Amino acid sequence: MNLERYQSQLIALIAIGVLVGAIFYKYDAFKKQAGASELANNAVLELKEVIALKKIWAESSLTKKVEKLQKIVPKQKVKWTRKKRKLTASFKGLTPQEVNKLIGKIMSLAVEIENLSIQKSGETYSVELKCKWSK
Amino acid sequence: MNFTGNTKELVLIHNQMERLSTKKRVNIMLTPQFYTLKREALPVKYTYQAKRIGPSLFDGLLEEGRGYDYFVLKEAEEWVFIAYDKERIKAFLQTKGIHPDKVGKVFFAQQSVEMLSSPILLGEHEALTRLHGTAVIVPQSVFPEKFTTLTFNNKFTPKKGVSLKESEILFFSVGQVAVFAIMLLGLAGIFGYEGWRYAQGDTAKTEEMQGLLEEYPALESRYVRESLMSKFKKIDRKERKKREIIHSIAKAVFKGVTLNHLTISNKAFSAQFSCQTKAMATKLKSLLQKEKFQVTLKGTTAEIKGKL
Repeated sequence: MNLERYQSQLIALIAIGVLVGAIFYKYDAFKKQAGASELANNAVLELKEVIALKKIWAESSLTKKVEKLQKIVPKQKVKWTRKKRKLTASFKGLTPQEVNKLIGKIMSLAVEIENLSIQKSGETYSVELKCKWSK
Repeated sequence: MNFTGNTKELVLIHNQMERLSTKKRVNIMLTPQFYTLKREALPVKYTYQAKRIGPSLFDGLLEEGRGYDYFVLKEAEEWVFIAYDKERIKAFLQTKGIHPDKVGKVFFAQQSVEMLSSPILLGEHEALTRLHGTAVIVPQSVFPEKFTTLTFNNKFTPKKGVSLKESEILFFSVGQVAVFAIMLLGLAGIFGYEGWRYAQGDTAKTEEMQGLLEEYPALESRYVRESLMSKFKKIDRKERKKREIIHSIAKAVFKGVTLNHLTISNKAFSAQFSCQTKAMATKLKSLLQKEKFQVTLKGTTAEIKGKL
């Protein structure tokens, strides 16, 4: 075969071949990168979500904040039992204002409320709270 | 400027020509000895249309049993049709030491007829000249004793030419193809570079991930992350629900309504209200229903119950 005879075609063919190869390479790299990017993006989002949830529900200063609950109402109205990160508290003889303040405070704490009970007896209220929180 | 490198020597092909000894590729210009010409004023606008008609114009004029190709050019209002036999031309070229593979473009003397202001001598007896706008070969004896002649050179090279190669797809010189190839390779280079950039990946996301993991090394394990995610998502969903219920109840209570009791646990909730009047109880019921609670009204007492 006389290659010289077909040199123009050969040159064009090789150039087209290289171009097609480069297009496929780019397309393949793009596809792989898009997949990897989505994975990386999801991993970052997941990590951020875990961090955010941990910051809310396992806040390190939560124990101190919970402790402040017993100072909202006079000491004699409170029966307080805390074991590590578990609390059982009983508030008796509370005025409506004290109840509102206490409930508002409990709502703002990132604790797991296991039981919350508000009971009216006469003109006063009693509140029972059982909650726990994570480390 | 000549970017395509079309600097090949132009050789005039005629019967009296001497044998050529060059090994370089050349362009050739055929004298009328190698083609048949016909002029026609046709009502067609484009060359491709004229080319279709070409073969029918030469009916009876060409040698039977031979394969002809056609070349068309326009001169003023007329179309000039040229019929040529590739095989005959190739055979002749070989007798003159020109291998057909060494021939680049093939031109016809008629294409450069305007330049034939004086004759070009072809050997000792003949000359190529212009007669009524047509390139023709005449005996030198028709000219006076002293007459001026032209020297044939590359300046006679027309713009368009044909190829002797069969099934020719690329009517381009190697130089033109090389330029085209360079352009394609340049394009390939751009695609390749873009591909390489993609292959390097999204470093910003990787760096962000690394930064976060350095800050929270405990979360490096995927298992830990998934476990924490599951645990906190469950807590988050349940606790938000409890707080929403308490918030909705507080929103529904107005002056004249007293909360008798409220209990909320991990599984259920219930509340009881007493109202001063029945109208208040009805209003409370509609407010609680607006908050999507199931309300039971007994006189002036309203009760809600639900599951978490």
